[in-house]
Amino acid sequence: MYAYDTYDHAIVNARVEEFRDQVERRMKGELTEEEFRPLRLMNGLYLQLHAYMLRVAIPYGTLSSNQMRRLAHIARRYDKGYAHFTTRQNVQYNWPKLSETPDILQELADVEMHAIQTSGNCIRNTTTDQFAGAAADEVLDPRPYAELIRQWSTFHPEFSFLPRKFKIAITGADEDRAAVKWHDIGLVVKQSDTGEIGFEVLAGGGMGRTPVIGKVIRDFLPVSDLLSYLEAMLRVYNEQGRRDNKYKARIKILVDAMGADEYARQVEAEWAKIKDQPLDVPEEEVARIKAFFTPPPLPVLDNDVPTVNAFADKNFLFKAWVSNNTGAHKVPGHVHVTISLKPHGGIPGDATDAQMDLVADLADKYSLSEVRVSHEQNLILPHVAKKDLPALWEALDAAGLGSANAGLLTDIIACPGLDYCSLANARSIPLAQKLTERFDDVKRLMDIGPLKIKISGCINSCGHHHAGHIGILGVDRKGEENYQLLLGGSGAEDASKAAILGPGFDEGGIIDAIEKVVAVYLGEREDGEEFLPAYRRLGADVFKEAVYGAR
Amino acid sequence: MAKKPAGPQMFIANRLDDGRAVFLTANGEWTKVAADAAVGQTDEEVEALAVLAHGAEDANLVVSVTAIAADTEGNNLAPAHMKFAMQAKGPSVRLDLGYQVSPNWEQ
Ligand code: SF4
Repeated sequence: MYAYDTYDHAIVNARVEEFRDQVERRMKGELTEEEFRPLRLMNGLYLQLHAYMLRVAIPYGTLSSNQMRRLAHIARRYDKGYAHFTTRQNVQYNWPKLSETPDILQELADVEMHAIQTSGNCIRNTTTDQFAGAAADEVLDPRPYAELIRQWSTFHPEFSFLPRKFKIAITGADEDRAAVKWHDIGLVVKQSDTGEIGFEVLAGGGMGRTPVIGKVIRDFLPVSDLLSYLEAMLRVYNEQGRRDNKYKARIKILVDAMGADEYARQVEAEWAKIKDQPLDVPEEEVARIKAFFTPPPLPVLDNDVPTVNAFADKNFLFKAWVSNNTGAHKVPGHVHVTISLKPHGGIPGDATDAQMDLVADLADKYSLSEVRVSHEQNLILPHVAKKDLPALWEALDAAGLGSANAGLLTDIIACPGLDYCSLANARSIPLAQKLTERFDDVKRLMDIGPLKIKISGCINSCGHHHAGHIGILGVDRKGEENYQLLLGGSGAEDASKAAILGPGFDEGGIIDAIEKVVAVYLGEREDGEEFLPAYRRLGADVFKEAVYGAR
Repeated sequence: MAKKPAGPQMFIANRLDDGRAVFLTANGEWTKVAADAAVGQTDEEVEALAVLAHGAEDANLVVSVTAIAADTEGNNLAPAHMKFAMQAKGPSVRLDLGYQVSPNWEQ
């Protein structure tokens, strides 16, 4: 993992002291709310329906066990004993007091964390593959580049007031687990035929009220040019992105308006002017950063572990968990483990302080003290020896963390919705809870197979409903919560936009509708065909008929 | 700014320190209990409440002062719109903690 140098420590600590002073002045009335609001937002502090909300950055979703322990401590000491992991691989606290926020930020700074650039029209936390550095299908570890981007974008003076917020995602595997095509900038790490490392560069993806899938603007960008090229991309956007209408201010609108080819041309022209300036970091610095991410010295072990097989034979839930929640690791005899934060009736992405402490302890014991957060709102132990799986699962299961549903229908993304969020039209969480109750049986879930349900409480799309195999969007229908059903989206390498199936439903109605959609799929699928390909083959009509036919 | 609601109105805000949703009472205090809020029936009454509410904002007691439609039909006075009703009741989830359990809960 990356470790702060003295410069990192100094700027983060200075920011805490600056915010402490600002909060004190606000509490004394020396700053008005109007003056204070942008200052608190710059430090990740929002005001929601019932309380403040503090959004803490988890750079590219990577945490040490000590950091996780500190997050647990903050939940216990300053909040109500839980925290919420988000689709930007960050963590949110729902109940901090304004006057205590500087103390929270200091506690975070002490473990090399902060809440800088988790709000506002700046470059937000770069997200990446939650299995980075571990997955067997990885071509290259994206984390050193995500870290380079973090350093470049933090307090970047030119890009602190962009037309709108800006999100970058990066992946280094063939399977896109970071939804890169749905980002303002998406980067796919590639290795050329000659062994040179670089990126395929996409621009102009995004969700919200105008969902757009990003377009490739460069097939191969050598890694040594990454920052100057990003600088050129941001410059063109910063200069020409619309500032008159916040709904048209994201880069997706600009790229769409001028065309991806023209945007690419302008970026190349800008880049030609700046690429020879010292914007890109020297090779030694890249090497220094890379050194923090050298593959851990894991021993090569046997992939077939008789004790684990014997345990699985006696315990179906464990067997299901191994099948669904673990994946192939680079090093034989190891797996990466997804700890589902989607238990029966639970709140997607929520973890209690005790659960976070436990995950930290288990990371120390079984995963080289490393934890990841996925954009699907789960936690990951990236480096686990197969022989340790039974003991790990028993410890997780005893704490309500043993759900065997990763990647299945109940592994639902849900935004906070109207239970917390002041922008919401409808609640998201209770829908997710009811779905996990309705589809409770692991055997049934496994029979249904991979199916991603994503729920947003409003068109801002924090719950990624546009990219859901099944997406749900909460709307306000004459003062009542109403839910639109969308089908056929994907956030993966085969990215697609989900389409609205028909008129919306109330809470009970949407759950029944999903059950009908699933029934059509089960009835119509071909051998081994998963939900999304089946939907693409069948088209929307057969689903529409099943859902609305009887009306 | 939300557009001005029609009919009987009440004032909602968030307390400065903990952000807790509170309602303006007739004597200019802020209560956690929506049913105890003052209701302005006429433009003049609403205006008088607005003066009190914004005074509290200027005194840095509350932020985000908003006039909202009041539902005076049922037994208990409550915000008419679901979003503000949610603020009065607390989240509909995690009913094991916080002011979802009791309106008098303090952080
Ligand atoms: S999608 Fe809407 S309701 Fe959900 S968290 Fe985002 S802004 Fe709030």
